[in-house]
Amino acid sequence: MSSLLVHRKYKGYLTVFIFLAPAFIGLLAFRAYPVFLALWESMYTATYGGAKAKMIFVGFENYQLLWEDIIFWRSVKATALLTLFINPIQIGLALGLALLLQRSTPLISIIRTLFLLPVGVAIPIATVVWGLMLNPNNGLVNSFLGVFGIPPQPFLTSETQAIWAIIAIASWKGVALWMLFLLAGLQDIPKIYYEAARIDGAKIWDQIRYITLPLLRRSLLFVTVADTAINFVLFVPMFILTQGGPRNSTNVLMFEAYRSGFAFQDYGRSMAIITILTVCILIIIGFQIKFLRPKN
Amino acid sequence: MKNSFISRQWPIVVWYLLILFGLIITLIPFIWPAASSLKSNDAIFDHLDPFSIKAFLPGADLSAYTTILNEKGFGVVVIRTLTVTFITVFLGIFINSLAGFAFAYFDFPGKNIVFLIVLISFSIPFEAIAIPLFIFMRQIGWYDTYYALILPAVANGMIIFLYSQFFANIPKALIEAARVDGASWWKVYSLICMPLTTPVSVGAGILLFIHQWESFLWPLIIAPSPNLRLIQVAVGRMQSEYSIFWNEQFAASTIAAIIPLIFILIFQRQFVSALVGVDIK
Repeated sequence: MSSLLVHRKYKGYLTVFIFLAPAFIGLLAFRAYPVFLALWESMYTATYGGAKAKMIFVGFENYQLLWEDIIFWRSVKATALLTLFINPIQIGLALGLALLLQRSTPLISIIRTLFLLPVGVAIPIATVVWGLMLNPNNGLVNSFLGVFGIPPQPFLTSETQAIWAIIAIASWKGVALWMLFLLAGLQDIPKIYYEAARIDGAKIWDQIRYITLPLLRRSLLFVTVADTAINFVLFVPMFILTQGGPRNSTNVLMFEAYRSGFAFQDYGRSMAIITILTVCILIIIGFQIKFLRPKN
Repeated sequence: MKNSFISRQWPIVVWYLLILFGLIITLIPFIWPAASSLKSNDAIFDHLDPFSIKAFLPGADLSAYTTILNEKGFGVVVIRTLTVTFITVFLGIFINSLAGFAFAYFDFPGKNIVFLIVLISFSIPFEAIAIPLFIFMRQIGWYDTYYALILPAVANGMIIFLYSQFFANIPKALIEAARVDGASWWKVYSLICMPLTTPVSVGAGILLFIHQWESFLWPLIIAPSPNLRLIQVAVGRMQSEYSIFWNEQFAASTIAAIIPLIFILIFQRQFVSALVGVDIK
């Protein structure tokens, strides 16, 4: 390696430690340790006999109880449904938008900035605003649909529509965010490829298929993994708008974990769900590390 | 190529139509709430039944803002959140740049594993960690304190990664010359390297700012006291506590959205490259 690193022989690793320790201890304590704490706590259950709760070791009983619990399986179903649709929708729209915004025309930088604005809006704010817009009685969206003679829709109060309303709310921000990553990836593709293709008479769809998508592979893979991991623990719209309802239709695993802990004080169950979620996320990240390993 | 005129011309029309459609969906959740926040609560609904474009015109009624700021303590919440956020930003820039410096210039046993932990740590969404971290905070007595609101957000693998990439690209000759002249590593860091990092630090600062400003689940569970309440939780609670006052919810949302947007728009270039720089190439 470079001559700078000759310093490995210096007096000791004290300097390395001083530079690295504050951040690394923070990551160990506040990122790594909670993952193991969740696993550990998921093997306990609390009993409220006396003044203070007693923790009793129960091994994998919390997991066994989940396995037999119909509410847990409905929650798995809701999470699977959300994951299956929200990620392709967000990535597809983000890719389409990035392709559109690649065009150089007058005002393009202003147009790009306008499309970037939702990135700066926190999910709780987006949720509150969209919740009022989608209000079934006097919200803006139903009022607007009325112009076209469409009857008022129940949106978040309907068992079938609520999950789609949440997908729409999260995607309003998500599409803008992932578009930024894909647009950056698109701009790294040398223009000369497109020029060569154009001279050979390739149509726009052929250019997208044979040039854009293969060369955008790394960005797309990164966006897919990051988007999937984030939406896997989507929580705020359910907390603010639906409380997991109507009839558990939006009761995803993350909300069920929150509810088990903070509404029912069953932290063992909550930690078991969190551990299952974390293992799933680590598997997704494993794919990322396998396929996105830097080329050096 | 007889239809070359058409094949070249129709995409531009379609392009404008699609862009217009996208802009409408993107911007209406800004325009309607901001316009409605300047109306009395009843006036919001004046042009909704039936729908008229006048619904998007702002009113001139500041009562929603004066009510939430004066009577509902929202101003204090904004100042408290700004304080917590800026402390997080400054501590975060300091310790994450130190760690990034260590990864760029030092060699030590286990470096690859330590770096892998950093990479994994920012791939796991914070929500997955929040509930067990809550139990940890209760064990060490930080429940319902400013420590718990600030310190877990300071160390950030993404920011460490940004700095280490940047430092690795500083010409090595510059640092070697300083070392030969007898400068300590601390001096190299603080006097040579950090002054060069302004664009990265601005980007990293905005990312840290947004993470802290947007946090919801964590302050919700770890700091339930009203005198520790942060802005997202405050806006979220308005939805349930004052649900009939739409103009107040819109006013609070407008304030909560506009503050980070100002930073993002001023430093758009640095923000986007810091955000996208995480895409490991």
